[in-house]
Amino acid sequence: MNSINRFIARTGSAAAAVLVALASAAPASADAPLRATYQGQAILFTHVASTSGAIAIGVNDPGFQTLLHDTGALLTWKPGERYVLLTTAVPVVVTFALGDGRYDVGQIALQASFAPYQRGDEAFLPFNEVLRALDLALRQDGRAWVLQPQLASLDVRQDSGHITLFAHGGAPLRPRIVQQSPSSITYAFDGVGTTLTGLRQINMGGVRTIEIATSGTVRNPTTTVTVALVAGAVVAPPRNLDDRDVTLAFGAAANSNAAANPNAAANPAVAQEQQQQAPSPESSAGAAAVTGVTIAPAADGATVTIAVNGNAAYEWHRLRAPDNRFWIDIQNAQLQGAPIDQSAVGPVLSVRVRQIDPQTVRVALSLDGQKSLTLAPAANGLQIGVGSQDVADAARSGTGSFGGVLASGAQTAAAVTPAPPGESGDYWNSTAAGGWKFGPRGTYVPANPRLIVIDPGHGGSDPGSMRNGVREADITLDVAKRLRDLLVARGWQVKMTRETDVDVYQPNDEAHEELQARVDVANKNGARLFMSIHVNAFINSGPYGTTTYYSKPEDVAFAQYMEKQLAADGTKDDGIIKSHLYVTLHTLMPAVLVETAFLSNPSDFALLTSPAWRQKIAQEMADGIGQYTQAYPVPNQPPQ
Amino acid sequence: MRSTRLPILVVLLAIAAAIAWLTLTHRAARNGETIAIYYTKLDGKALGDVRVSLRPPQADESATEHLHNTVLYAAVQAVAGPPNEIEAIRFPPGTRVLGVAVDGSTATVDLSKDVESQAGGSFGENGEFKGLVYTLTGIPGIDAVQVTVDGARLETLPGGHLELDQPLHRSDW
Repeated sequence: MNSINRFIARTGSAAAAVLVALASAAPASADAPLRATYQGQAILFTHVASTSGAIAIGVNDPGFQTLLHDTGALLTWKPGERYVLLTTAVPVVVTFALGDGRYDVGQIALQASFAPYQRGDEAFLPFNEVLRALDLALRQDGRAWVLQPQLASLDVRQDSGHITLFAHGGAPLRPRIVQQSPSSITYAFDGVGTTLTGLRQINMGGVRTIEIATSGTVRNPTTTVTVALVAGAVVAPPRNLDDRDVTLAFGAAANSNAAANPNAAANPAVAQEQQQQAPSPESSAGAAAVTGVTIAPAADGATVTIAVNGNAAYEWHRLRAPDNRFWIDIQNAQLQGAPIDQSAVGPVLSVRVRQIDPQTVRVALSLDGQKSLTLAPAANGLQIGVGSQDVADAARSGTGSFGGVLASGAQTAAAVTPAPPGESGDYWNSTAAGGWKFGPRGTYVPANPRLIVIDPGHGGSDPGSMRNGVREADITLDVAKRLRDLLVARGWQVKMTRETDVDVYQPNDEAHEELQARVDVANKNGARLFMSIHVNAFINSGPYGTTTYYSKPEDVAFAQYMEKQLAADGTKDDGIIKSHLYVTLHTLMPAVLVETAFLSNPSDFALLTSPAWRQKIAQEMADGIGQYTQAYPVPNQPPQ
Repeated sequence: MRSTRLPILVVLLAIAAAIAWLTLTHRAARNGETIAIYYTKLDGKALGDVRVSLRPPQADESATEHLHNTVLYAAVQAVAGPPNEIEAIRFPPGTRVLGVAVDGSTATVDLSKDVESQAGGSFGENGEFKGLVYTLTGIPGIDAVQVTVDGARLETLPGGHLELDQPLHRSDW
């Protein structure tokens, strides 16, 4: 049901903006200091030079460093390096190279007004380009200069009868509604100027036009966005994605919204067999004619065939999970007949075909996951194979061509592999990731097959993670003691790496000395298994769940038995994860490290601070050990 | 002749206008090669990627220097992580790449001490370094990553979990 029609309201004055920026660079005479106001604070730039009529700024300039700090940006460069990299708060990395006018912003290569250069031990960058990357503009206010935050972009996305505007600013965006009527609404963004002024026709999703204007002063600018609405259009309140990103959403009136999706209730079986027939003879000379689309179930997924008469090149893109849309723009093509809307049952949920501009036909597919995709020329057009399985690292874009007479060099099927060779599939699968660094230590025979070593993570001078006075070291010790008691009751010998709140090696030791001391307890005592107990944490409260980490081939089965028991512990089961953890790597016997839950997540926190829950996971760990040792008995030893 | 020249001129002007538009709006002009910057998703396991342009070597840039520059570029991108709208396991705020070195097929990445400000737990460390290692080993000629902090090799981060003493490979995950 999702359709795609993404375009950008960076209106035509962008060119003018650059000209203004270049012109405004001129007044700074060579090497004269530049004093500019940023957010009410005066910043003095002293390492400035005039180059090709534009300002060059030295990376060691104290004022520049203040500006980088205040905007949350980082600069990476040292003498001798050719690349000068600027990481913005977004973050986006802007890359300059000494002696090269090209600079790169993410995936986009741009041309700077002059090539950055080195003078003495300092690199000099084109200031206006740097400011643009920081979403700022240098503006003149009388005889003074102001670094004015910009409404840097206003992207428009159309989706199933809705229009969403994504605004991004060089300062926090707090839209105020200054005018609202049934026919229009005006938002004011205080504190930002823009070069995006102008009127843009939309005529979709309840929105007729968008007009961007600026008012106020150079120091206190306001940018207004006026949205002209269709009668009955629905307006959602502005929503801040973060400080500097806001969405404004609109929907068509209820009745026209339904009209936009006439096939919403269509019988999938009918839809799958449906083929849009349309006359093709009147197609304009040279242009390919898109005549219809068919969705057919395939052995593994579905096949979508786009019927095309003639030759054409195409470009495809896919969005990232959880947005499982994919589209192909067929260039120099005409859609014969009416726009096409088909719906189906997975993996292809819907197909829409539109003439998006006079030369381009867009075929948009909505999938039920990040499915594998293959594109190949077919006798009558282009065939898209949609797999039933999700792929971990789907390719995002590509190009190809098809048709009766292919250009030389384009004879082969323009197959789209979902990922580069050797990188496909589940990264977590150790085989796909390249196998094991170390082979199994098959020679290990536990000197004491009845001994389990339990390692309560952290302790002593290292409390581990902390939240609201709760310390990881205390929780791990409590769980470890409960597990010890359960194992001892079942006849196991148990050695703990620590029994109290102490460092295992010595106070304030290095982390690896501490970890090696824990490993030594298991290795030197010839333990059967090593079990490290930890509590997870993250910088925000989102992630939660239980994870069982392992490192060696001989850990896998133990990790699987452990995870199976812990899966029902009341928080999310994050499965088993292979990683390069010190204690699991350096122990000679099967070992796991269980991150029981996240101290940083409120619901996990409640579990971790509940003695009953800690008893429950200790019980599950004991069961995991019991089941694993039954399934994998030590040779010549009775199973426990 | 006149009748053919005018359409050609119109087409050329249209192309020029299109190129100017694409360039000036920071959009759509995907030039040349790209490389994948990997990040670990919030399930702690799956990798996502964003693609960034790969600069071609400059005239006076040797293959060795270009590899060095590409590693620096990719390392800075990986440490920065994807745009904030994408949920990802991220290096601690302020973490920066102080420098890189390439020795054979091993890239050494020197990180600032900010990387030691971990939230705790294996989750962050595991995800951060997995993304960095996958990114750098995606560069042809690089198959291992040695991490140093403020110029020094260390076995683990303070209070940490991941072993960093030896070069990391994709096969470690």
